[in-house]
Amino acid sequence: MSYYDVDAILTDSEKVPCKFELEIAQLGYLDNDPAQPLKTGTTVGLPLWLAELLALANRAPSSSDEDAKSFVSLNLPPALSNEVMSALKADPRAVPLRDQSHNFYGLGTRMLDLFEEAEICAILRKTFVTRAADIALHARKAGGAEDLGAIAGEDFVRGMEEWERLLFKNAHDGVKGTKAWMEGVKKH
Amino acid sequence: MYGDAGAKLVGQAKRAQTLTNLPPYLTELVRTITREVRDLDKDVADLLEPFQGSFHPSDDQATACTLLVNHLSMRRNKRCLLAYHRVRTDRLEELVWNSYDVVDLAGQQVRDGSGGMNGGGSGDGGTGSLCPQEEDYMRQYSDLLAAYKGQWTDIDLTGSLEPPRDLFIDVRVLKDAGEIQTEYGAITLTKNSQFYVRQGDVERLIAQGYLQKLS
Repeated sequence: MSYYDVDAILTDSEKVPCKFELEIAQLGYLDNDPAQPLKTGTTVGLPLWLAELLALANRAPSSSDEDAKSFVSLNLPPALSNEVMSALKADPRAVPLRDQSHNFYGLGTRMLDLFEEAEICAILRKTFVTRAADIALHARKAGGAEDLGAIAGEDFVRGMEEWERLLFKNAHDGVKGTKAWMEGVKKH
Repeated sequence: MYGDAGAKLVGQAKRAQTLTNLPPYLTELVRTITREVRDLDKDVADLLEPFQGSFHPSDDQATACTLLVNHLSMRRNKRCLLAYHRVRTDRLEELVWNSYDVVDLAGQQVRDGSGGMNGGGSGDGGTGSLCPQEEDYMRQYSDLLAAYKGQWTDIDLTGSLEPPRDLFIDVRVLKDAGEIQTEYGAITLTKNSQFYVRQGDVERLIAQGYLQKLS
């Protein structure tokens, strides 16, 4: 992931629910109400680039008996909620990941950097592996019989998120490249 | 919210990566984002003003948090702007390596209008899609590349990697290109005439769309 990576930047703008731990007068606009102060305990969906550092920045304890706390406390985004996880556990192929988040795995990796969630990690990994096989299959089909493959796997292909699309494209190009090479070999 | 315009810009950059043509430079959006950064910077200055340079984050946490949010928003906008321009300059460099220059791009639209050819050239933009700074960048990059290539006179670094099947090819002239010098003397390229020439002599003219290769 580089600084200039467009996909990384787009992943960073995925929203994550954050609960504010203190009242801030000037930040009402984050809750769509610039006139009001942002109250303690308000939950706002903040993009990851903002949420991550707000959650990591330590503020000094206001009194000696208080622990150092951060400005906001993070929660897992709906895309990684229990419902989605159990659906993925049941059948990874049946969940259109794109509807959850355009950068589902990107978001997952970023969130797992911040949360200790071994189970989610395992589920995501299994999901990726299971789906990757299907993606390879679809990519191959789409290369051969253009329309047939498109119809059979249309729903699945539409439900792929960005990493999967990249994988699909590479697999597809690979099949095409091999074919072109094979034809070249026959000619000479 | 701050940063939304930046996300939109990066979304456009992402879209541009998949297009064959370079879409127009989004002057308005870029301006919106830079204005946003300027506003944020002013906000920060205003917030810090009463403290006279002796601000302690632990004394006023709400202000500290506001400052952090403003700072992060500025940083985010910077990243979006840089990424957008990087995507575009990468593209321009690629065009230069493919022997396009700024003037070519300007002529491209006219040619495309009059029955495009040239196997759907890799990136026909038209200078309308570049901002003045990008035109400048492209011009200077062309100069750099020319200087670099100049070190090796017996090899064309931007030449085609496909080995030619025939040394000589038939070409048709699509628009007047004047006289060119070849090993076998001078040829005058007038529109609609046809020649049997050495491929190496006319490769660049084909890429620029003056000539069409006949198979």
